[in-house]
Amino acid sequence: MKPSSQIPLLVALLSLNLIPIATALAQVSPKSLESLVIQEGGRKKPYLVFTEETLRSLSGKTALNMDGQKQDAMTVITGFWMSPDDSWKAKQLILVSNLPLRKHLSLEPARKLYSWNELTSNDALSKEITATAEIRRRDPRAKLVGLQKEASDVGMRMGLFESLLKGDDFKIIAPLSGSDWLTTAQLDPTEGKDIIDSVHSMRSAWTHLDPSRFDEAATSLLGLQKQVGGLPSDWKISLEVVYQKAHPFRWAWILYAAAGIVLLLSRNSWERRGYQLAWVLAGSGFLIQAAGLLSRVLIAGRPPVTNMYESVIWVAFGTILFALIFETIYRAGSFLLGAVPVAVASLILADSQPVILDHSIHPLTPVLRDNFWLSTHVLSITLSYAAFALSLGVAHVALAQIIAGRKPTAILYTYLYKTLQVGVLLLTTGTILGGVWANYSWGRFWDWDPKETWALTALLGYLFLLHGRISGLWGGFGLAVGSVIAFMSVLMAWYGVNFVLGAGLHSYGFGTGGFPLVATFVGCELLFVAIAFLKKQRLGSA
Amino acid sequence: MSADGNPTKSPLSRAAMIAERQRRSPLWRVIHLLGSLKLALVLLGTIAIAIATATFTEAHFDSGVARAWIYKAPWFIAWLAVLCINLFAVTLTRLPWQRKHTGFIITHYGIILLLIGAVIGSRLGFEGNVTLRTDGQPQRKIVTDRSCIQVESPSDSYLYLMPLETRFLHTSVASPKYLPVPGTSLRIGIEAVSEHLSPQPHLAPASGKAGGTGVLLDFSSGMMKQTLHVGLSTGEGSPGTYDFFGRAALTMASNAAALPTHDPNNKKPWLDLIPASDGKSLEYRLGRGASVTSSGNLHEEDLLPLGWADWRLHVSQIAKNSAVVTTPAPDESGAENGVPGFRAFLSNPEGEKSTPLWVASGGVVPLVLGKEMVRIGYGLELRPIPFSIALVDFEVPRDEGTETPSDFQATVRFKNTKTGAEKEGLIRMNHPASYPGGLLANMTGFNYKFSQAEWNPRDLKETTLQVLYDPGWLPKWIGSLAICVGIATMFYIRPRE
Repeated sequence: MKPSSQIPLLVALLSLNLIPIATALAQVSPKSLESLVIQEGGRKKPYLVFTEETLRSLSGKTALNMDGQKQDAMTVITGFWMSPDDSWKAKQLILVSNLPLRKHLSLEPARKLYSWNELTSNDALSKEITATAEIRRRDPRAKLVGLQKEASDVGMRMGLFESLLKGDDFKIIAPLSGSDWLTTAQLDPTEGKDIIDSVHSMRSAWTHLDPSRFDEAATSLLGLQKQVGGLPSDWKISLEVVYQKAHPFRWAWILYAAAGIVLLLSRNSWERRGYQLAWVLAGSGFLIQAAGLLSRVLIAGRPPVTNMYESVIWVAFGTILFALIFETIYRAGSFLLGAVPVAVASLILADSQPVILDHSIHPLTPVLRDNFWLSTHVLSITLSYAAFALSLGVAHVALAQIIAGRKPTAILYTYLYKTLQVGVLLLTTGTILGGVWANYSWGRFWDWDPKETWALTALLGYLFLLHGRISGLWGGFGLAVGSVIAFMSVLMAWYGVNFVLGAGLHSYGFGTGGFPLVATFVGCELLFVAIAFLKKQRLGSA
Repeated sequence: MSADGNPTKSPLSRAAMIAERQRRSPLWRVIHLLGSLKLALVLLGTIAIAIATATFTEAHFDSGVARAWIYKAPWFIAWLAVLCINLFAVTLTRLPWQRKHTGFIITHYGIILLLIGAVIGSRLGFEGNVTLRTDGQPQRKIVTDRSCIQVESPSDSYLYLMPLETRFLHTSVASPKYLPVPGTSLRIGIEAVSEHLSPQPHLAPASGKAGGTGVLLDFSSGMMKQTLHVGLSTGEGSPGTYDFFGRAALTMASNAAALPTHDPNNKKPWLDLIPASDGKSLEYRLGRGASVTSSGNLHEEDLLPLGWADWRLHVSQIAKNSAVVTTPAPDESGAENGVPGFRAFLSNPEGEKSTPLWVASGGVVPLVLGKEMVRIGYGLELRPIPFSIALVDFEVPRDEGTETPSDFQATVRFKNTKTGAEKEGLIRMNHPASYPGGLLANMTGFNYKFSQAEWNPRDLKETTLQVLYDPGWLPKWIGSLAICVGIATMFYIRPRE
């Protein structure tokens, strides 16, 4: 049955009050609203972005299965706006992501989404939320941990649900004075009559399932919003809509993965042509990723390295960048082969873990609002991570050859050494630049803040590795093993300080989650090294 | 380090010369030993492990422990000194230097220079903070992060400052730590330390109007994991009422007529106490609004559930002719609040001792032994600065449509104490103001730099600035630059053969 043919039936059911209004979702497409500008979270953004970010905060996803139908974020969130009735309270929308919390609250272990009614009737949850509120009241800076942190997150999602239902979040009109935008409920009924009327007719079209009247009213609302003014430039809003829809980083990893597969296959037979094809694929991925990053820079007005999500994307980008530079010089194949798994894994991770790695663009904490320092200190530090990630990749190529029973060539180890050099230079420069920045913003050059200390630990680790190589204490194989192990200190500086230690002044990057994933990765890497080590001993004795 | 990643290979004659000088001279042997790569590896490895451990210590305890055990510990400083020696000696082992050594020399000397800058900074410079108010007085002193004991010598009435970190002080009643009182033969003995001192009430004998019937009450809650000690007395000058977290009211009066009347519309619970004339028991009334929910008598050691959540009342002391006195004492309630401090006494060469008293951070306590009195104080060291700083204006712009700060902007006025010359400065995030300022002062670090540190969301007339005076800045800066340039040279600039 086509959607259009379903409409009369739905209208009939509605008029008989057989189904609640909210289930009428998705019969009217809110697509015409996507570039409506809305003020939320300290910035003005397209409605499309707002709905995806909001649904992700509420449910951890950008699309939901509701009443047997898959609904996108635009439809769900617009549903709240257009028909804010009590039927929403019965819908399973609110994310309770943490399994121990679900067990603690006697919820179903396998289900992550719960309705407002289910959660408000859960006494254990309200007890936890009251307890966290009490902690916050006593000390607004108190750090919540464990179940309390998780319960507080659920509490925030419930707060978001409430404000969506009340319509408080739909701030679409610039005020005459001040910077806080207004919802239609806050408008003066006479001055804002046209705007209020168009939202009214959108509502009526939505509930009466009249797509053409909805589009008409939405277009009129967009026009009225322009008349009021105070909007960001059109190109910025359009760019953000395109960026939001295009998923450039997803395309990038697909192309990188294709390049990697071609490289692996081309090793034996169609060598040169395979190498060239891999170049084209990786190069295209790189250009798409660069375009995605550039869009983000233009939208946010700052370098794309201000949270964990951005840094993961940026490190993947840097790894491919260095690999392509080295490939241009040496035409070795091993740089690209090493870089591809790292970049693909990072980009898939960034794409698939939106709760841990937040995609949204937020205004920055005041100390980070300095594009000079962001683009010197943070870019060089993250590029050093990228170089070390490349050395991890190249080391994997060498160790994999050993595991496969082949002896890596001496030149491969030289390549590895070259990637380490890039990392050491960038990490040193970045750490020192961090000291100079800290001297300006915090008033001291070095104070053993955990982030500083781990950057230094990683640097000392890599210096240890290089000095050991120079002194002849270990050879190429040792360098490869060391590159894998030393990368664990990079992970600690990058992820561990913010997500595991959670201490120190770099608190703006703190987050939670992902620990099992990272621990598994570390475990696998150590196992891989151990296997290579055993194999190497057997090869050596043979 | 050579550019191609292989161990440095020198021409044979050079290697032979270096081997020869080691064979001939014990000095060269020592230099080569101190500058050896093996020592470098040991140093790099141990420092990396030590500082990594420190970050976990910091996350599990706090930064003070990590500092005391590792970052600021004598062994760690000594280890860094050995690192400097290693870095210097290794450059000597390459003598006579060749062009290919340029990057290597610059890098290694850069690290030494950076560490020298750090030593100068920590010896001659200081870090601290100053809290300013737009409606407050200009400040001439900076609060440093160093705890000090302040002793007023009875011989010359001067204040003497001695650094003292109670946290890591090992002391006991059996073996106290002694400090001299300058200009006298007296000594101050520190016999106990606590991180959680708070003002605790107790009853002291008093006569006349000041002496009334006093009670010491303990309120405890298992749910809140908290115990409160409250002292009340009917004597003049002692508290007769207590505000219980704003949720309930406590009143003690010598007779029922002196008690307040309870407003029937105010549903806040209350507890009224009237001491019996024998001075050994209390009559109590528990109520809410105008109604009394329970009443009866209480004696010492009695327990009374209050019906306010799970709070219970324990009567620990009732005494006639007493006043309530508050002195610092370790908070044993389990709540980790209060301030650090120590218990000290005065002793003379004859071995006589005064009564030990607790000295809390921020407080001053007189220790009396016979005719001698020494006032001692404890707290963060205050550093005088040669100018004053006043807050003219403080603004916190917000992100649009939110209460989240987007910047902090403090306008300050510096005034030279000697010349009276004034200068204004604007402190924003990432943009400190400095005094005397100017290129030379900023380059050398002979300069007081004020950066935004803390603010009080509830009071926008107040801001706290971080203050840095760092004469080690120039060597740190040049050293840093040298390290980066040196590494780049070493890796990427090949000398023409």
